[in-house]
Amino acid sequence: MNRNTTFQPVLIMLFLALILQFIPLSGDWVFWKPNFLLLMMIAWMLYFPDQYGIEFAVIMGIFADFIFLSTLGYHILIFSICGLILIFFHRIVVYLQLVHRVTLVFLMILLVEFMRATIDSALDKPLFIEDILALAVISAICWIPLDKVVRHFYSLHK
Amino acid sequence: MTLDTYTSLFESTKSDISKVTIPLQLLADFPYRVKEWVGMSTTARTKLEQKNVSLEKERLILLGQLQRSAELAAENLRLRQLLNATELLMQSVLVTEVIGVSPNPVNHNVTVDRGSEDGVYIGQPVLDADGLMGQVVEVYENYSKVLLITDLNHALPVQVLRNGLRSIVEGTSDYNEMSLRYVSPTVDIEEGDKLVSSGLGGRFPMGYPVGSVASINQRPGEKFMEIKVTPSAKLDRSRHLLLVFTLKDGDVTRDINE
Repeated sequence: MNRNTTFQPVLIMLFLALILQFIPLSGDWVFWKPNFLLLMMIAWMLYFPDQYGIEFAVIMGIFADFIFLSTLGYHILIFSICGLILIFFHRIVVYLQLVHRVTLVFLMILLVEFMRATIDSALDKPLFIEDILALAVISAICWIPLDKVVRHFYSLHK
Repeated sequence: MTLDTYTSLFESTKSDISKVTIPLQLLADFPYRVKEWVGMSTTARTKLEQKNVSLEKERLILLGQLQRSAELAAENLRLRQLLNATELLMQSVLVTEVIGVSPNPVNHNVTVDRGSEDGVYIGQPVLDADGLMGQVVEVYENYSKVLLITDLNHALPVQVLRNGLRSIVEGTSDYNEMSLRYVSPTVDIEEGDKLVSSGLGGRFPMGYPVGSVASINQRPGEKFMEIKVTPSAKLDRSRHLLLVFTLKDGDVTRDINE
């Protein structure tokens, strides 16, 4: 399976991730909504590191910056660091069980949110530290169906 | 990041891209519209009749209150004329619906389904049934972006309803909390005090409810008190909003009421 064959599913998933990202929520759910673009990037980089490398993380970061209307570079930095970690770990991760991958995603989201909080505090933006744990748990739960779909493409590729 | 933080170099590009996301926002809002439609279509006749009766009662009560407020408005006009005060401003409104919400929890803005075709303009105040929501910051043909009063970049001149004390309310990126700035420890302000827009600055009309004082914290050695305000409007829940058109008294060039 080359990049052309996975390009279509990536585009479809990107579209779905955007729809999910734009779903209006209220109350605490506003802060607990997972970053679906980030989850999608993790999934494809984890299973297809040869096709979706660090440049994919940077492109997704630029895309996220424009979608979230955040400071340009904010998501590029976060997504790139995530990408680097994934490149480092991907050989081990694909052999792990689902529960371990879910745990890894949970830890990764925690790391991302702490990175985000660090950048936000540097930019004098408000911090929502108390919501980080709930966000990581919900992101880990959302990861399960995403993992199953991308793993399906991975098994086709093998 | 530095360039984007301290310059407006990428603002136009961001604005152009945000236009592209409107269809996505509409699509994301689709399940809510379906749910609303299903709810409307499947409501029992008896329930609708009960609702109709209660709305009729509510309408009667409001009409009664309106008579009183019309009398007060007329009295106010007479007093202003006696004082040779500046022209009164009349307001008419346009009902609009929220079609999209910013995906970034820190940016508090919503997209509404009225644009330049409906006469919407930049800086136009927006209300919900309970109070002031925000102001229009971007206008397109058929939709507009509204910056909510809880956004970090939003500030609004207010006054305390009880004693007329003026101050500024700033957003904190929290839908349930704002902060009242530059209030010295010696002034008369209490928890529960209602805040209304003061009309200073000319952007927001005077007298619309903004919020109420939730807590007052006085730190020793600080020049100003730390005052938290709970917004009156349901900023993260309201779907139907009102765009306020401020017309000068007697200006009948446009009838916006629909």
